[in-house]
Amino acid sequence: MSRDKSLVIDGVRQFFGPKNSRVQALSRTDLAIEPGQFVCLAGPSGCGKTTLLRLIAGFIKPSEGQITVSGSEIFGPGPDRGVVFQSPTLYPWMDVASNVELGLKFQGVSKDQRRADSERYLQMVGLTDFAHRRTYELSGGMQQRCQIARVLASDPEFILMDEPFGALDALTRERLQNELLDIWRKTGKTILFITHSVDEAVFLGARVLVMSPRPGRIVFDEPAIFSNPGEVIAAEEIRSLPAFLELRERVRNAIQHSH
Amino acid sequence: MVIPLEGLEYHPSGGPDDRHGGQAAVSKSAPLWVRVRKNFWTTRLTALAAFLVVWWFLTTPWAWNGDKPIMLPLYLPSIPSVWNAFIRANTIHPIAEGVDREVVGEYGYYLWQHLLATLQRIGIGLFFAIVVGLPLGLLMASVKIISVSIEPYINFLRSLPPLGYIGLLIVWFGIDNTSKIWLLFLAAFPPITIATIAGVSGIKEDQIHAAQSLGASRLQVVSSVTVPAIAPDLITGIRVALGFAWTTVVAAELNNGIPGIGGLAYLSGTELKTPLTITCIIVIGVTAIALDSIIKAMERVLTPWRGKA
Ligand SMILES: Nc1ncnc2c1ncn2[C@@H]1O[C@H](COP(=O)(O)OP(=O)(O)O)[C@@H](O)[C@H]1O
Ligand SMILES: [Mg+2]
Repeated sequence: MSRDKSLVIDGVRQFFGPKNSRVQALSRTDLAIEPGQFVCLAGPSGCGKTTLLRLIAGFIKPSEGQITVSGSEIFGPGPDRGVVFQSPTLYPWMDVASNVELGLKFQGVSKDQRRADSERYLQMVGLTDFAHRRTYELSGGMQQRCQIARVLASDPEFILMDEPFGALDALTRERLQNELLDIWRKTGKTILFITHSVDEAVFLGARVLVMSPRPGRIVFDEPAIFSNPGEVIAAEEIRSLPAFLELRERVRNAIQHSH
Repeated sequence: MVIPLEGLEYHPSGGPDDRHGGQAAVSKSAPLWVRVRKNFWTTRLTALAAFLVVWWFLTTPWAWNGDKPIMLPLYLPSIPSVWNAFIRANTIHPIAEGVDREVVGEYGYYLWQHLLATLQRIGIGLFFAIVVGLPLGLLMASVKIISVSIEPYINFLRSLPPLGYIGLLIVWFGIDNTSKIWLLFLAAFPPITIATIAGVSGIKEDQIHAAQSLGASRLQVVSSVTVPAIAPDLITGIRVALGFAWTTVVAAELNNGIPGIGGLAYLSGTELKTPLTITCIIVIGVTAIALDSIIKAMERVLTPWRGKA
């Protein structure tokens, strides 16, 4: 395993609440994510998926253990770990393009360069025509696309996504899944994708993790190949492959039997 | 200020651009409240006309009343006498009927100069209230020890009627403008600070997180997220502060308040120049409504996302 740019979660446990009535959200978790991997984490709601993501993002400090990126411990949020939130956190006082450019602005990139970059990423997510709209004028799916473009534009090593398509209708979700795979293949980013949908996890992940109900623990960890086909296969075909159905079944069992 | 008619969901500011303000044809058989809603300006103007008719009725001499008006002019001056007082206050005129000496407006200033003097005091007081109240609010919202130590004093100050301590301010800062501006400042900054604190506590945690994950420094979080996020609350706070400052400034001008529209209202009353007093009251009220409309318009222009995200 290359240490370079890999993310290592080492003996992390997480508790919430005051000492005498604390709740364990995450039991001991060890996990290494290698560069370029598309990792999907599935699990029932309330099992601690978001908690794990927030720990990696640096929004909260682990009660025990440590998280390292390229061998050095993380302290707080940073631009190397971009976050796509479950409910879009776009800024309504900026238009879509300014939202996408924000990370570059924080880095001090010149205005012209920012414009060029945001145009590129808006095109990648299909929002070119909406560049100068306000974010609240976008549909839910477009807001998630905008969040993805915003994260891509600031060029992080890792993209952490928390059920980004959970609130979307089935058709939009499938479109965005395919777009996300395209983006992953183009950019080679390391992605941690959280979902409560078994189908989504198996379809997207190059590696599928399952977390048990609270206190969360990783109980299943297997590679998947469906996001990585040698030749391009239509999504419907992939979903009807026996191997796809078989893995999906095993993931579902893992979730059910972890109770 | 403006009471919504029938509790219907129209915006009291109304105006020609108002959704319900158009002169859409409304059937005569429609219920009264529907007609009221559809004919915003017609209703307002009719109400004003009715008000003026009552005023005229009360102040006109009637033969059946022994050629006297129902209300004596000292209590309620007639419409023409108020109009004359308004004209006099805006022109150079003889000091009295048949006297050669001419004077400017009232007490040496035109009416607009009185108004302007008051507006200037408000402007300066409000300016300092924002300059101090906003950063103080930001500081109190982010540093616990500061908010714990300062909050009681702000609530204390807020509970005091400004007139209660104007005397003290006069002793400290003299009877001229400085004490009045201090009074306005002290009256106006608590609402701004409190609105800022409320705004900061209303910011969604993930909006801060998102910026930090995009690489924002502490200062960049403040300038790109905190300040715009609290803008709607801040403008509301400024609006409250302005209303408060306006009622306070008029009272503050009871002492040495010339030029000043409040001082003029007070002084003219003590000298039984009732038409002039009523002129002043009308000017004070209309100006207050105009200022409030300006802030509401700014609200729409500066924070178009209010209530949408
Ligand atoms: N800030 C917090 N304070 C207290 N309890 C929390 C907090 N965040 C999460 N939890 C608890 O931890 C558990 C896991 O939550 P979460 O990570 O959001 O689950 P998931 O994302 O898998 O639905 C839940 O029982 C939740 O109530
Ligand atoms: Mg969650």
